[in-house]
Amino acid sequence: MTASILRIAGLRKSFGDTEIIRGVEFDLAPGERRALIGPNGAGKSTLFHLISGNLAPTAGDIEFDGQPIGGRTPQRINRAGLARSFQITNIFPKLTVFENIRLAVMRKHRLQYSVWRRIAWVPWLREATEQLLERVRLQQRAQTLAGEMSYSEQRSLELAMTLASNPKLILLDEPMAGMSSEETEYTMHLIREVTAGRALLIVEHDMDVVFQLADRISVLVYGQVIATGTPEEIRRHQGVREAYLGEEVAA
Amino acid sequence: MDALVFALLNGVIYGLLLFMVSAGLTLIFGMMGVLNFAHASFYMLGAYFAYALQGLVGFAPAVVLATVLAGAVGAGVERFFLRRVHRHGHAHELLLTFGLSFIVAETIKLLFGNQPVDYRIPPALDVAAFVVGSQQYPAYRLLMGGVALAMFAVLYLLLTRTRVGIIVRSAIYKPRMVEALGHNVQLVFMGVFAVGAALAGLAGAIAGAFYTTSPNMALEIGVMVFVVVVVGGLGSLGGAMLASLLIGVMTSFAVGVDRSLADLFAVVGARDWAEGVGGLLTLKLSSLAATLPFALMLLVLLVRPSGLMGSKN
Amino acid sequence: MAHMRTSIPLLLGGVAVLVALPLLLSAGLLNASVQMLIAALFASAYSLLSGRAGMLSFGHAAYFGVGAFATVHAMNALNGTGLLPTPLLPLAGAGAGLAFGVVAGWFATQRTGTAFAMITLAIAELLHALAPQLRGWFGGESGISTMRMPAWGLNFGSTTQVYYLTLAWVLAALALLYFHTLTPPGRLTLALRENEHRLRFLGYDVHGLGVSAFAISGLFSGLAGALQVVSNESANYVVFDAGVSASVVLNSYIGGVTAFLGPALGAALMTFFGYAVSDATQAWLLYQGVIFVLVMMFMPDGLVGLLAVIGRLVRTLGIRAAPLMAGWLLAGLLLVAGGVFLVELVQRLCSQDYRAMARVGEAWPAVRLLGREWLPAAAGTWATVLLPLAAGGGLLAMVHGAQRRWLTEGAK
Repeated sequence: MTASILRIAGLRKSFGDTEIIRGVEFDLAPGERRALIGPNGAGKSTLFHLISGNLAPTAGDIEFDGQPIGGRTPQRINRAGLARSFQITNIFPKLTVFENIRLAVMRKHRLQYSVWRRIAWVPWLREATEQLLERVRLQQRAQTLAGEMSYSEQRSLELAMTLASNPKLILLDEPMAGMSSEETEYTMHLIREVTAGRALLIVEHDMDVVFQLADRISVLVYGQVIATGTPEEIRRHQGVREAYLGEEVAA
Repeated sequence: MDALVFALLNGVIYGLLLFMVSAGLTLIFGMMGVLNFAHASFYMLGAYFAYALQGLVGFAPAVVLATVLAGAVGAGVERFFLRRVHRHGHAHELLLTFGLSFIVAETIKLLFGNQPVDYRIPPALDVAAFVVGSQQYPAYRLLMGGVALAMFAVLYLLLTRTRVGIIVRSAIYKPRMVEALGHNVQLVFMGVFAVGAALAGLAGAIAGAFYTTSPNMALEIGVMVFVVVVVGGLGSLGGAMLASLLIGVMTSFAVGVDRSLADLFAVVGARDWAEGVGGLLTLKLSSLAATLPFALMLLVLLVRPSGLMGSKN
Repeated sequence: MAHMRTSIPLLLGGVAVLVALPLLLSAGLLNASVQMLIAALFASAYSLLSGRAGMLSFGHAAYFGVGAFATVHAMNALNGTGLLPTPLLPLAGAGAGLAFGVVAGWFATQRTGTAFAMITLAIAELLHALAPQLRGWFGGESGISTMRMPAWGLNFGSTTQVYYLTLAWVLAALALLYFHTLTPPGRLTLALRENEHRLRFLGYDVHGLGVSAFAISGLFSGLAGALQVVSNESANYVVFDAGVSASVVLNSYIGGVTAFLGPALGAALMTFFGYAVSDATQAWLLYQGVIFVLVMMFMPDGLVGLLAVIGRLVRTLGIRAAPLMAGWLLAGLLLVAGGVFLVELVQRLCSQDYRAMARVGEAWPAVRLLGREWLPAAAGTWATVLLPLAAGGGLLAMVHGAQRRWLTEGAK
């Protein structure tokens, strides 16, 4: 039994009097692909924020790779090997695509205070950036300003930046949001390729994507995980159908 | 003992004055997300307007007119300047208001000269309110404090009890929603800006007669107001009140203290050493009084970066 | 940055001109040139933080001043002992600017945006309030004076030698600042401005990055302050004045922070104008403020942006751009003429001397301006104000409309 890469126990989060996350239990194995689904307002984004360090838990534990990360800063969590993408594209719009990826790749090499080195002359940096560019198939757009690309190209860039730190766990927050079915298909294959061998936690509403991409699915309703299982198990799960379709299903 | 009461009263009143100016700034910041660098300029304009009009219409009407004029200038600034650069972002707005404050100061120097002008309390108001020990306490100071308190009460009631107030508060949180509900949000913004400017103008008109009225007054109080807003927490009216009073009282007490760090060292017998070192250690607290608010601000930044009552945003 | 590479001949030409200046200018103008160089360096250092990193500082005089005072003390303490010969003295200022930049930056970068700006202002005001009290360090009202000592075979007595010393340091500093933009921390400052939030999630210590940018800006600001002391042989606490912080902000944005040399250009230009017109008018600061506000409202990329716009106009409209530009220029001149006349008139009418005179007689006496007498009551006086303004305004509207029409036609 391999140790979980992500383990959540008794997690709670309240905003004032409102409790959004009401006791989440969660276990993710290394290399596992898990989709997180649930109705709107279930708390999926909040859960992501809690895991990635944007918010601090009110109660409960979050453990990543054996270390507690609940309440830590986003920087520290990222350095521990966890990277996330954002639902609303979060890139550097006035910098080129190449520069965007380079900045993401650079962090691991500890160059932030190297005032004496010319960045263009750091050899492995250029190669690493170009490799990543190729993986997300944006080589043609290397010198384009990131803010001037199409939406799905920006999402590919977003994905590249998330990958850049070579994370053990990737959190993807609705990566297909707003895409056409072609773009969705394309992006899904891309995600499957680039996340091979890494643990993946993805929030997605498109059920086709979820069923094709995920090894297992967790269902979050009103701040609690009511079911976890393979796509088949979830499809047949009574509680899930009720949550999505209402009481009529039970009748 | 008298000195203590005096210092306390002076401090509270100066704090209330600071609040009068920073309240408008806090509201405007909460609403528009940008700090109006020119806000203290409205304070200065109020004083100068009142000064210019005093000879023509008398003190009280001059103060009222000055308030209205300052508000009008505020509305104009919002309508013709800020609205135009809104799309360029917050940094741009900040720079623009900075430029405007610069222009206002230079124009006043042009029209009224570099030196302080002779804007004084009318003799009728220059009386003592009561006697504390052997000293008389000027009635005008109490008037200043009274106006500030009245203004706070009116503002509070307006914002919490009236329909206009609810619209304004909603516009601060969710302007687009309020617009969708059919309210003219642009008008609301302009109105709040004008009211904030008018309040600052009123503070200037009243305080200018008591303190000096010079082209430098915008900078002097402006910096203090910024310190208040940082210490109190951006966007929090309660925090602004707390911080204003704190700074007012602290400064007021410090001015009366003729001791220095060397005196403190004397307690452990190290006075001579301290005086030998000189510099900061022999500076009297009274000379440092003006710098204490900055020290407070730096302390707050260390211990509680979001301000005393601000949110962690 | 591409356009920088192609302009290498232009850059070299500019440097050549700068090197040749002492042969072309009088001592007075040469002195002004020294001040222009210093202002250009200060503005470049400032815009590293404000323009590139997007962290608006309104109290940058603090680092300039700290550098200045560190240098004046170094000059007095090391008085020709050879430990730090005159040409190397600015290192003292740079070091002090760096140290203070680290400390101040550590506090200031705890907050962002407007709060950050307010803190920088307060730090400068703190120094300004404290300085006159600490006589040992800041010399009180009269400041501290010093003398340049001979070194390396030169006596540094003449303006020419001071000019070359300043030029050498400024060119070296600008080269270093430009190099900084090519380094990892330099690229990260851009990212700070673009999206600081994402930098956190990429694992960066954003606070540290902010302090680093602040410190480097402080270093070069301190260097500029040091150069001023070497040139003026004195330092006074008025160097911490809010006006000094204000003018570097104005200069940088008037020049335009989107190009590397924009702020330097703006500072040099504004310093020159200040020097040229400060005898003729009392309202120079007002004009500077008006220019700044106009730039912020209509030309947010500053003068450099204006040059870029003109370039685009010429490329799109070819020869037809000429009458447009002539029109803009003429309209501008008319508006400036009318506006300046108005301001100067008002300034004289409101001055102390005039008020004293005006009270004595019944009719308001004439004002002396541009070598002529103008009666405030005369229609001719106000016509001279209103006509250029009206004509300029009308012409402006016409040219603006024509340009818009021609551009939409010309766009293929």
